[in-house]
Amino acid sequence: MDLRGKRAYADTAFRWLVIGAASLVLLILAYIAVSMTGRALPVLQHMGVLEFIKSKRWSPADQLFGALPFIWGTLFTAAIAVAIAVPISLGVALFVTQIAPRRWRMPIVYVMDLLAVVPSVVFGLWGVMVLSQHFHLGRSFMTAGIILAIMITPIITSLAREVIETTPQNEKEAALALGATKWEMIKGAVWPHSKGGLVGAVMLGLGRAMGETIAVALVIGSSLGQITLHALSPGNSMPAVIANEWGEADDLHKSALIALAVLLFVITIAVNLVANAIVQRSIARSRGK
Amino acid sequence: MRHPGDPVLALSLRPRRTWRTVKSWLMSVAMAGAFVLISLPLLAILWALFSKGASVAFSHFPAFFTKEIPVVSRRPGPGMGPAILGTLLVTGGATLIAVPLGILGAVYLHEYGGKSRFARLVRFMAMVMTGVPSIVMGLFVYVVWTMKYGYSAFGGALGLACLMLPVVIGSTETMLRLVPNQMREASLALGATKARTILTVVLPAAAPGIISGALLAVARAAGETAPLLFALGAATSYNPHFFDQANTALSVQIFGNAMSSFTAAQDRAWGAALTLVLLTFLVTLVARIFTARFKR
Amino acid sequence: MTWLAILSVALISSCKKNQPATGGGSGSASAPMVTSGGGAVTINGSGSTFQKAFQESAIEAFTKANPNIKINYGGGGSGKGRQDLADMVVDFAGADAPYKDADLAKNKGGEILYFPILLGAITLSYNLDGVDKLQLSPETAAKIFQRDIKKWNDPAIAADNPGVKLPATDIVVAHRADGSGTTENFTAWLDQAGGGNWKLKSGATVEWPADTQAGQGNSGVAQIITSTKGAIGYVDQSDAKASGLHYATVKNAAGKYIEPTADSVSAAGAGIDVKDNLLFSAINAKGDTSYPITYQTWVIVYAKQTDKDKGAAVKNYIKYLITDGQKLLPELDFAPLPKPLQDKAVAQLDKIQV
Repeated sequence: MDLRGKRAYADTAFRWLVIGAASLVLLILAYIAVSMTGRALPVLQHMGVLEFIKSKRWSPADQLFGALPFIWGTLFTAAIAVAIAVPISLGVALFVTQIAPRRWRMPIVYVMDLLAVVPSVVFGLWGVMVLSQHFHLGRSFMTAGIILAIMITPIITSLAREVIETTPQNEKEAALALGATKWEMIKGAVWPHSKGGLVGAVMLGLGRAMGETIAVALVIGSSLGQITLHALSPGNSMPAVIANEWGEADDLHKSALIALAVLLFVITIAVNLVANAIVQRSIARSRGK
Repeated sequence: MRHPGDPVLALSLRPRRTWRTVKSWLMSVAMAGAFVLISLPLLAILWALFSKGASVAFSHFPAFFTKEIPVVSRRPGPGMGPAILGTLLVTGGATLIAVPLGILGAVYLHEYGGKSRFARLVRFMAMVMTGVPSIVMGLFVYVVWTMKYGYSAFGGALGLACLMLPVVIGSTETMLRLVPNQMREASLALGATKARTILTVVLPAAAPGIISGALLAVARAAGETAPLLFALGAATSYNPHFFDQANTALSVQIFGNAMSSFTAAQDRAWGAALTLVLLTFLVTLVARIFTARFKR
Repeated sequence: MTWLAILSVALISSCKKNQPATGGGSGSASAPMVTSGGGAVTINGSGSTFQKAFQESAIEAFTKANPNIKINYGGGGSGKGRQDLADMVVDFAGADAPYKDADLAKNKGGEILYFPILLGAITLSYNLDGVDKLQLSPETAAKIFQRDIKKWNDPAIAADNPGVKLPATDIVVAHRADGSGTTENFTAWLDQAGGGNWKLKSGATVEWPADTQAGQGNSGVAQIITSTKGAIGYVDQSDAKASGLHYATVKNAAGKYIEPTADSVSAAGAGIDVKDNLLFSAINAKGDTSYPITYQTWVIVYAKQTDKDKGAAVKNYIKYLITDGQKLLPELDFAPLPKPLQDKAVAQLDKIQV
């Protein structure tokens, strides 16, 4: 017996609406991924997939394309960015939700918003003016990493803040009632509840760090072949080289640049899988206890 | 001094100074320090924006915001009016496309799709796309729209929407996941349909986080250059037609003028940068005040 | 559902729309639309940033005389311009180098016409305390930019500059991070005139040695030079002057050291070999007074114009660029076309069928 009557139609209609939305999303995103992969094929056939990935030489004039230095640059700068941004973002998020007086909450949120609305090109210009020249960091992996860290902090902070705020009040109070210090309450009540969401926040920040084009292009130095842990040397990244070389590239060169973008998809997948695996394992471990 | 009638307590109620309490205090200081640390570059950037851009943007107010862009870029003088309109058109359009689509998509993923193959595929695609460089999105828009229909603000909005979509989906789904199931179950137990539950219970509960995520996406879209370079073409005069004709935007103007060797152009770049920051901040401010309605 | 209402309003208000262009090839993309407003025409161009300053001044003057025509020039680089024109997304392209033969088949609109519009100089700008005048030969320049020579007091540089006291500073090489027609023409000069020293070939992107610095655009390279002692790089003349850079006098094919000036650039123009389709290279031109690193840029259009109004506007605009517009060039630090070349270009205007 269907008790819902007329409301059933609205319910079904909404269901189809969200399925339609999800389908449209899939269509758009899959179309992008598939058309990119299609355009990447010529260079992958020319160079061979493995050779394209491991070769260090990038010379359009000789029709030789090797992605390794750009993969390195992207990962290295993203690693620097995350290493700097995650402690700071989580620190700010915890500060504003747990430590700071309630009145300070909105002003701090606005400060983070201000940082989020600065356009990427301004970060790049500021990076050149201040970090490269004034602090003598030059155009390097380090400069790019620091700029990226500043850019992704508001992203991670904003979401981390929202996630942390959903921690049930009674769990926090229970911890405090048992005699926990504020820090122990955070470790015992906030962290277990939030860690899945926090990983999601960091993943969004990481995605931005790996895909940021203009700010990185301006400060990373755009040099070729640099695979080094020496953070102060100039380097390159996949989005930066795509942006720099696209305008004047011939067909095979363009295919190579798009292949770099496809590689970036693969790396994003790999990083996300690793992160999810870590989260699943820690959830399983904490349940097992 | 002890007086008759004073309560006698064997233990003081103040917490004892132990390593645990000191550690807690230190961590609090560290968190405050994190905030100070991130404020420093922000202040430096704001100072750069204001010191370089304020005089250009605010002299002979509102000339900079209304006059057309000088055709000869090395000549000093206002303004950026067409770029402001362009940014509003393009970012507004992108938001109208990406935010509803992204929220509804995330609702599907979390509330209906669960672990089904289709849902896993959509989630996977959204995850993969979070790292797409903006230039790649620009190429995509060029092939799919500009080559067929020419330059237009809509093409730019499309490109920006594609950039925004994964962020909106990711953040919305994260927030939906954190809405306790008891709320859903309670609503259903009271006789509400699933759709009604989502619309009146789940979404409002997750609203602050969803709006935060959407604002991040909008802020990014407003500041992006690459997709617009491929979709808008160039313009120095006002073009209010959304589907028609080349256009320009503040982000594009900042990029182009900052690359110039002439101080007049560079000045306008900083003025445009300041304008963009103020404009986008205004939008986030309004949205946050609107969100405050949802907070209990 | 207020957003739905806003969306609908926006859509409806934008419905001043799309009259598809007349004609057009079979299945090819229709060109961008004519604006509403009776008689008003908008034409779009994109491409070379080298010629952008000239385009800006010319657009201003031309549209003042023809108020019903709107012209937008988007820059973006020669490659982008060629691609945009091939896809018929723009009505004309600016490019410092022609299409490759293999790419000509991809042009959707058929035959193209090259109209040269100006000549300009690439300077060898440098930052070296105490050295106000520097002379460089292409052989030495090739070795510098290849990092075979690493210090300013190297014997090869000293040989080019007899009697000048050169410090022992390290040389910092600045080049373009982005692909560029300037790089292409500069390396073409190193290739042709460098006496076999230049090994890195000529192209819009070059495999520069790792210990060099890169900047975006001419202004990026100029910024590296101004802020780094001992730096040297190649910068378009107008950007070099705007940034207040010192630049070298360069040895030309006739063996003389020449400073880049309007006269020496024009002289280079006089010494060129022009093909029938108006393609040529002014690099390393003949003549005693020619500046060797002079290069050229064209406006490219389709011979067959698909839209009558736009075609007429394009034709008139190009005519302006190569005739009256040439007066604007000297104050922009460019040189006008030599007369024989200008005559040929004007004659080629007739080939544009509207």
